[in-house]
Amino acid sequence: MRLVAAFLAALLLQLGLTASHLWWVFAACQPLLLVVVATARRLNPVGVAWCGLAAGLASDAFAERIIGPGGIAGAVAGFAVALVVRRFEMEGPLYWIVGSLLVSACSELTWMLVLATLGVRPDHAFSGVLATVAMTGATGLVAAAGERALRAWRSPARHRRRVLRRL
Amino acid sequence: MVQLRSRADLAIVVVCVGLYIGSAAQVRFPLGGTALSFAVTTISSPALAIGNAIGRTWQVFWSGQRNLRSTLGELRRLRLESAELHRANQLLSAEVTALRQGSRLLAAYPSLADQAVLARVIARDLPRTQTLRLDRGSRDGIHVDGPVLAEGGLVGRVDRVLEHSCRVQLLTHPAAAAAAAVEGVQQEALLVGGDQPHLTGLSPYTQVPLEASVLSTGSEGIYPPGLLFGTTLEARNDGLFTIVPVRLAANAAEVTAVLVLAPAARGAP
Repeated sequence: MRLVAAFLAALLLQLGLTASHLWWVFAACQPLLLVVVATARRLNPVGVAWCGLAAGLASDAFAERIIGPGGIAGAVAGFAVALVVRRFEMEGPLYWIVGSLLVSACSELTWMLVLATLGVRPDHAFSGVLATVAMTGATGLVAAAGERALRAWRSPARHRRRVLRRL
Repeated sequence: MVQLRSRADLAIVVVCVGLYIGSAAQVRFPLGGTALSFAVTTISSPALAIGNAIGRTWQVFWSGQRNLRSTLGELRRLRLESAELHRANQLLSAEVTALRQGSRLLAAYPSLADQAVLARVIARDLPRTQTLRLDRGSRDGIHVDGPVLAEGGLVGRVDRVLEHSCRVQLLTHPAAAAAAAVEGVQQEALLVGGDQPHLTGLSPYTQVPLEASVLSTGSEGIYPPGLLFGTTLEARNDGLFTIVPVRLAANAAEVTAVLVLAPAARGAP
């Protein structure tokens, strides 16, 4: 259920970031891929691949592209990031940053490759790939910072300090 | 199909292959204006509206910040400019005052105008040394003992000359002295400086009218005769002389432009 909520929130965020009054660079950000990264800790690689597939299909549908290449790219990227996270037992900020960079890079490259095999001209070139990777990586950094802040907020040590202060 | 459901890894591969085929089909037969597009537009519009609202708010905030900064910068610049203009205005006002005073001075003594040097007071030390400093010096033809005239009357004499400036010993200086005569009184008297300049040397019980003009006689060899020192106050007897306090005509505290007469060019006004 939380996964579905996060997925929808990320989808809305991804759509919202393309708003004309926001900085144009934000449009390159792919929060849906962060949901894929987030599932890499809980699901097995195939499960993450399914999640990536859903994220890619949603991206394709909402970007009004050909529906399919994004799904395939998302599945491949999810599988790859899950394997890497498991292989290197990533945790904390490294998990978010490496995961977001890897998933966006894998997704973009696979997407380009699939489009190339279909003989379709992609709607963005290398600079677009770079922007997507950079912005998704930056979002991963923000997610890592947020997670750390949340952990600090919920930490038993902080709770103890608060209790002691009240005494 | 049952086997595919149980093997998720194979299922995703099959789905991907299906998607690939579907993509190829879409390439050949592009979809356009479908219900999907309408759904996408409908779903994305609230998110876009929120994004635009946030963007607009940020832009307003940012432009406000920028405007505030520029306004503060403009205010700072205007304050500096205003201070500069205020200073320039003060200087110009002083200049105009001095010019007016100089002009009136030249008009008051037309016969001396050719032989005198118009000078401006650049410093004054009335409480301690009872002197003025003028912006003219030996280079401008100023000499020691040159009488100094203000609009109201005499103020003193030059006692020190430098190349570009000179110092004036005021009539209020304790060492100042000048030969003077009171209008309506035959005798010549000596005007002595000090906090209250006064005439001395008049014989006792001399009748000195109040508010009578005290003029220079030129006997001491410094001041040309006939120039106004001031007016008399109430006379009193002090021993062998009648002492007459004098209210000086020129207020040294307000003088800004003076005429310095050349000692060699002394003559009647």
